[in-house]
Parts: sequence; structure tokens; C-alpha cells
Amino acid sequence: MGKKINNTNYYFKEVYTLIKRDLSSNILSIISLGFVFFIISLVISLGVSSQFMISEISSQAEISIYYSENYDPTYIREELELIEGINKVNLIDSNEANERMKDILGSDRKILELFDHNPFSSYIEVFIELDNLDDIVSVSKNIEGVELVRDNREVLSQLKNILNIITILGVFVFVAISVATVVITAHIIRQGVYMNKDQISTLKLLGAPSYFIYVPFVLNGILMTVLSALSSIILVYLSNNFVYSKIEGVLPFIILPNFVDLMIILVVFNLISGIILGFLGSVLGIKTTNLNKGA
Amino acid sequence: MIKAIDLSLQYKDGTFGLNNVNIEIPTGELVFITGPSGSGKTSFVKLILGMEKLTQGELLVLDYKMKSIKDNELIKLRQAIGPIFQDFKLLPGRSVCDNVLVGMRFLDIDKILMYEKALKALEKVGLSHKVHSSVENLSYGEKQRVAIARAIAREPKLIIADEPTGNLDKKNSIIIFDLLKSFKSKDTTVLITTHATHLIKDIDDSLHIQVEDGKMKYQEEIYG
Repeated sequence: MGKKINNTNYYFKEVYTLIKRDLSSNILSIISLGFVFFIISLVISLGVSSQFMISEISSQAEISIYYSENYDPTYIREELELIEGINKVNLIDSNEANERMKDILGSDRKILELFDHNPFSSYIEVFIELDNLDDIVSVSKNIEGVELVRDNREVLSQLKNILNIITILGVFVFVAISVATVVITAHIIRQGVYMNKDQISTLKLLGAPSYFIYVPFVLNGILMTVLSALSSIILVYLSNNFVYSKIEGVLPFIILPNFVDLMIILVVFNLISGIILGFLGSVLGIKTTNLNKGA
Repeated sequence: MIKAIDLSLQYKDGTFGLNNVNIEIPTGELVFITGPSGSGKTSFVKLILGMEKLTQGELLVLDYKMKSIKDNELIKLRQAIGPIFQDFKLLPGRSVCDNVLVGMRFLDIDKILMYEKALKALEKVGLSHKVHSSVENLSYGEKQRVAIARAIAREPKLIIADEPTGNLDKKNSIIIFDLLKSFKSKDTTVLITTHATHLIKDIDDSLHIQVEDGKMKYQEEIYG
């Protein structure tokens, strides 16, 4: 009698034998699951990018305060700085406002030359905490001399709605694809169990416990989904690289998360979901065979 | 060791595999169960190994009551038995050594001891020189000897060989019977089913049980 034998090497050797015995099915499953994980990765990329955009826009939330020309803007500025939730206050004169618009218009800036005089008014640029937007707007409106408070809550609200839709859609796609992954994995593992039913029967007659018999099948399933998840990273790297190059060239005002950070998130997410879905699929595959019943 | 009391095995179609068998096999015996094909020899083996559930009576195997045996008890019982089959039931694609080791990997034994037992068993069956050979490359006689090595390496209390010479010629059959006979000891019972009665009639120190139409009876006891 002694301590239980560590069978790790044996299990992995068995996994190799299982894969070798049904190589084509395993390869085809890895390819098809690879595409499934690619779709998951695209949804995650979209979700992470949208979340990042909202967060960036929220952190740079600002309101513009227009005032009567009869009033001294420094007084309004001092009053504003007393309000909770205001991070920074800048006085923008009409010339700077004009220059900023030129920057925004870029090659279309010539349109401003059609005006005889500078069409922009001076205003106060106020950077705020987004959560305090409503309070800040209502207090600002009551400051003497303030004529108009313009906020971008509609834009933010729209973006948040889009993010909510992407999140709901993403969760739905993820659940649907996870089920598909579990079913595909379960199918290939069940096929493996049936292909090796004589061997399983022999091991049972020798008194092998269920865990000893089925661990290689579970490892086979996990290995298959992890390889699929990692191979999908190559595809998603290429596609994200393409999207980033297009957006950075044509739509520079769209703020995207750091490419490397996004890829790290995808690798970690795919790896973890590959392990979990592979485990669930393998267990389901084994549980749905008749061979696992009884000793 | 093995005790059958009014034991019956009736299949769903109404036919009897075994019919009202009363028999006792003491520990440390070499037992031959003989009879023509379909007489009930394999049914008896299947009941001992828990591959079939008895329909009437009781069967005691190594103190386990087979009528009410639980799954975890059946696993323990099977670990105490060294089964040998006519079709060898070796694991394909593995080496001779791996096939012997696989019967011990889930037992509570030290890893080094496990390898020692496997090599010793292979030496006993004369296959020390084929440790790393793939089982696919062996002859029928050699495959049966690997199956025997797998069974004896675990030092079981009961060795059951179901028609172990069914696929072998006369020369190899005699070698296998002699080999199996050598594993009988004070603590180890060897139970062999066979229809090759002409090959075992001269084997002494053995108990012969005749099976016919599901009935079992002591045929003769030969003690040298």
C-alpha cells in the first residue's frame, strides 16, 4: 500500500492517443470551434471598444455656458468654481472659438471665410463630473449673466443606449455561441467515448473508477476548445488590426482602446471561456452516453 | 471465497443462463469450470465480475453479496480480481508495459512498486524482452500472456480466466494452462473456464466443475 499514483503523464498520453485515433474529427472540430470563438471575440471587441468610448467621453464631459456681453465672465467663472462636480473652467473668447471650429472642420474650414465677421461668441468651457450634470446645469442657469447652458447629454444618452444594445446583443450572442460550443464539444467527446467503448469496458472490468476512465476525455475536450479559442485569436488579431487601421485613417475622432490591451483582454477571455466551455461540453458528452452508467 | 446459493440467472427472453446453482469454491483452489459452449460458464464469470445481475438466490464473491452490491463495492471487488479474457481485452495502440500498468494505476500503490510489479509479472509470463513492444505486434499466445501479466501484476485474490485458450493452438494452450496453474497459492484462487477438457484432465491439485444447461456440479476432485 502507498499513496495514490499521480497519473498526469498517463492522462496526457491517453489524450494524445484519443486525438490520434480520431484525428480528422478533432481537427475539424477545432476549426469550426475556432470560427465560433472568432465571433465571440468580435462581439467582445465591439463591447470593449464601445465601453471604452463611453468612458472616455464621460471622463471628458463638458458643458458650454454662454453669457450676456454686459457681464464680466470672471465673475461667472468664480461662481461656477464654487459648484460641486466642476473640474475645470476655461474662458474661451470668440477668436479661440473660431480657431477651434477651423480645427474641427479641417479641410472644410473655407466655409468660415464666407462670413464677413467672426460668427462665434465668447463662452465658458466647463469640465464636469458627468454624474453631477443635472445639478450643475440647473445651478449654472441661475448665475447672474448666464444666458444659455449647452450640454451634450443627448449625445451621451444616445451612446449609452447604443452601448446597452451592444451589451444585450453581446450577452445574447455569447450565450447562444457558448451553447453551440458546448454542444459541438459534447458531440465530439461522445463520439470519442463510443469509439473507445471497448477500452472503457475493459477498464471498468479491471475496477477502474469513473474519474480515472473519463479524465482523458475531459482533458481532450478542454484541449480542443482552448486550441480553438487561441487559434481564433489569430483571426481576430488580423481583423481588429484591419479595423483599427481603417478607423485611425478615416475616422480619427473615434476613440478606440489601446490595441495591445484589447488583444490581452481577448486572449484571457478566450482562454478562460475555452477551459470552462470545454469542461462543460466534455462532461455533457460523457453524461449523455450510456457507457458512464453503472460500474 | 465464492459461494452460490440457489443461484439463478434468467434472461429477459425467459431462458436460464444458470439455474438453481449451489456451489462453493474455497480460497486457494485451482478450479476448472468445464462444459460445452452456451452451457453457462461465461454467465457464471459475468455474475462474479458483476457484469450481469443475478435474478434469484445469492452469490458471495470475496465476501461481497452480489445481489445487493453497490457500485463502489463492485469497483473494490473488481480491483481484487485479475480477469483474463478469450479476446484478451488489451488496450490497442499501447505498449505491453502500458497494458500491464493500466490495471494498477488507480490502486493505492507506490509508483516505483507498480513498475516493479509490472516487470516482474512480464518476467513470469516470459515477455521481459517485449516490454516496449506495441501489443498489435504480438502473436495470439503473446497477447494472452500480456493479459495474464496484467491480471497477476495486481496480486489479486481471485484470478478468473474465461476461455483463455479459445484462440490458441494446443501448444500455446498447454503453456497458458501451466502458467495459470502456477499462480494458485494459499491466498489466490484461480478459476478457469474452458471447453478444452482434454487439455486439463491431467492437471492435478485442481477442482473440476461441470456446467450443463445452466446446472453446475462437482465433477471430480483431483489431488496429486
